Amino acid sequence: MSKSILALCRQAPYGNALAREGLEAVLAAAAMDQTPAVLFCGDGVFQLVQQSPEGIGEKNLRRNIQALPMFGVETLHICRASLQQRGIDPVAIELPGAEIQLVENTTAFIDGFDHVLSF
Amino acid sequence: MKFTLVVYGAPHASEGAASALRFARALLEAGHSLYRVFFYGDGVHNGSALAAPPQDEQDLLGQWQRLQQAHNLDLVVCIAAAQRRGLLSESEASRLEKSAANLATGFTLAGLGQLAEAAAVCERVVTFGG
Amino acid sequence: MTLHIVSKSPYSSSALADCLRTCGNGDAIVLIEDGVYAAQTGSEKLQDFAGKAVFCLRADAEARGVAVTATVDEIDEARWVALCTEYRPIVSWFK
Repeated sequence: MSKSILALCRQAPYGNALAREGLEAVLAAAAMDQTPAVLFCGDGVFQLVQQSPEGIGEKNLRRNIQALPMFGVETLHICRASLQQRGIDPVAIELPGAEIQLVENTTAFIDGFDHVLSF
Repeated sequence: MKFTLVVYGAPHASEGAASALRFARALLEAGHSLYRVFFYGDGVHNGSALAAPPQDEQDLLGQWQRLQQAHNLDLVVCIAAAQRRGLLSESEASRLEKSAANLATGFTLAGLGQLAEAAAVCERVVTFGG
Repeated sequence: MTLHIVSKSPYSSSALADCLRTCGNGDAIVLIEDGVYAAQTGSEKLQDFAGKAVFCLRADAEARGVAVTATVDEIDEARWVALCTEYRPIVSWFK
């Protein structure tokens, strides 16, 4: 009955609510033993960089990502091309407890799942 | 085949909900089953009982409600996303001490677990973006 | 094989470009809502579709006055549903 689920996170953290609500959906699914894989792609990779959103009255979204390993999402998949395009050094993305896996071929990666939830 | 639809689009802000309705009708006509429609993000506004569009415009709420009645659909509005956006059932309104409730008949408020559960039991999940 | 659903205009959103970067051989693309503008005859976006199976919702194209190019297959909602049963997973590109 169980299905493999991928959460495809493509939104930058603060411009709209979908980045945050996507991570909330991931945590909820993980809490129900439906642990999804997570792939940060496109502007979604901006969720991974250091942030200081106090000045705009927002909570730090990166903290939600830091919580993922505690909920059983231990590997974070990141599209390498998206990082490159945006000038983000993969080395700068340090998340304690999480294993970072850079994905070269998103086509083959996505193809392996039953469901893809786009956030 | 068993489907779940996820709707992020608020009425008027995007076409996502209207597309989801067309897709829902077509899949039911084809003899597939619609296990759940999960309204998330701004999509929760589809469950507002207070929408009052002019008569010559598309009435999305009425269309969802008629489809729900005809097929006994499970129209679930995410409770966390709904609270943020001011969409409350009678019991939530009184619990949160708000002056009014606006969840439309035919919709239910439930947690994100309902999305995970639907994904686990359905063969297909289709997302309709905002 | 994956079914990609694209719902934004290629002139205002990276949805189609991001989709194309991920769309592999054997995948298919369904253009819906403002996504159908990519299918307009003569559009410079068409060259990106070479060798790919691309479909477009007829009602959405007609609504917008889009003259769909011959290499894009115009479909109704029933065929759209059928495509969703034939492919897995289904990925929506909407921003």
